[in-house]
Amino acid sequence: MAGLDLSPGLWLILVALGALVGLDGISWPQLMISRPIVAGTLGGLLFGDPAAGFLSGALLEIVSARHPPYGAARYPETGPAGLVAGAAYANAGSAAGLLPLITVTLAGWAIGWIGSHSIQLQRTFCARLVGDTEAFGGDARALTRRHRLAMRLDAARAAFITGVLVVPTMVAARVAATFATPTRAHISGALAAAGIAGLAGVGARVLGGRWRGWPVFAAGALVGAVLAMVVA
Amino acid sequence: MIGGGIAYALWPLLARIHAGDPVALRGALERHASAFNAHPYLSSLAVGALARVEYEEHAPETIERFKTALRGPLGAIGDQAVWAGWRPFCLLTSILAFCLGLDARAAALGFLLLYNTGHLSLRAWGYRRGWREGLNVGGVLARSPLKQLASRLLPVNQALMGAAVALLLTRLPIEARAPEAIAGALLVGFGAYFLPSHGAVLAMSLLFGACLAWII
Repeated sequence: MAGLDLSPGLWLILVALGALVGLDGISWPQLMISRPIVAGTLGGLLFGDPAAGFLSGALLEIVSARHPPYGAARYPETGPAGLVAGAAYANAGSAAGLLPLITVTLAGWAIGWIGSHSIQLQRTFCARLVGDTEAFGGDARALTRRHRLAMRLDAARAAFITGVLVVPTMVAARVAATFATPTRAHISGALAAAGIAGLAGVGARVLGGRWRGWPVFAAGALVGAVLAMVVA
Repeated sequence: MIGGGIAYALWPLLARIHAGDPVALRGALERHASAFNAHPYLSSLAVGALARVEYEEHAPETIERFKTALRGPLGAIGDQAVWAGWRPFCLLTSILAFCLGLDARAAALGFLLLYNTGHLSLRAWGYRRGWREGLNVGGVLARSPLKQLASRLLPVNQALMGAAVALLLTRLPIEARAPEAIAGALLVGFGAYFLPSHGAVLAMSLLFGACLAWII
């Protein structure tokens, strides 16, 4: 892990943070430190570049905006995904160009869905655990034990996902960073920008529900473009 | 889903109400540990109201019917007001602030402060109103400003999403920052708005394509 600048101590901190953001996403306290912009910034901070972590988190927010957690819908687990993506992008070096950023965004998207499936498995297990009323028998101590066990399982699940997937994601981002001077950078850049904007369009539509607010979305984009020019 | 949590939250009160009657305590705990689902923040309203009806010693059948009646509205209103309204509003505001030059740590911290001011206020309001209203908590939900908040934030969030993506594109590494690339991207975003299912597949394909175009 030396080539990645990832010491065992730093890896352990990442795993602990993974447990924390995983726990926050579902079990407790849902303060939204599990959102990619926060988890990503934390990941970036560990490698000295919080802005890189925030940027990768913001892209993950756009990518996951079309999967709101309504009703029984499945949605990606954003905590460990954002943390890993932010850490991997900051580790690769935000000056390395667009490819590492897109790589960690896609990796974060995949990790989010792996997390989502692991949550389904855990929920099935927890439903059996609590649903077994004969073994439970209304005993307050059994209820407390089960409640705490479910939370520990959630933290362990998220820690495992973070611990296992952070190294491959970092390796992928580092490999992507070696393509720092590509010959077709403008084509890739245009494709990536179009992909991100497309996902934002879908996300805006999903956010609106039945309400069709395309003029508002277009007006927002126009104002954003003008602001971008002013700021530049 | 959160039945175990509801029972866990009610347990101290149930233990006081049924002190000296372990059979009644077990019955009450079993009743509340059964399947229940609601929006996690608005479950505080359910906990407060259930605590009140247990305190007033209503019949178990009444409590069961009450719990069943609460599930739908708590889930639907919470999803709209928080997941579709307040959370995207805070997230997008924070992303905008970052794109306009705010430090990443300050933007992330600002998001947490703004979001949790609303979040924790909602939880506290839920406990208080639930306990005060008991069985009449349905009326509180119908009169609450949460529905209005959700409907008012819909257009705001869509506008913020448009502004955020336009600004975010200018914060990307240099390869994606050409004005013609950004203008083309915004047109794609606009098109994807009208064809969400195809647009999502196309947009993800474009992201994968960006990597492939680089490598090939």
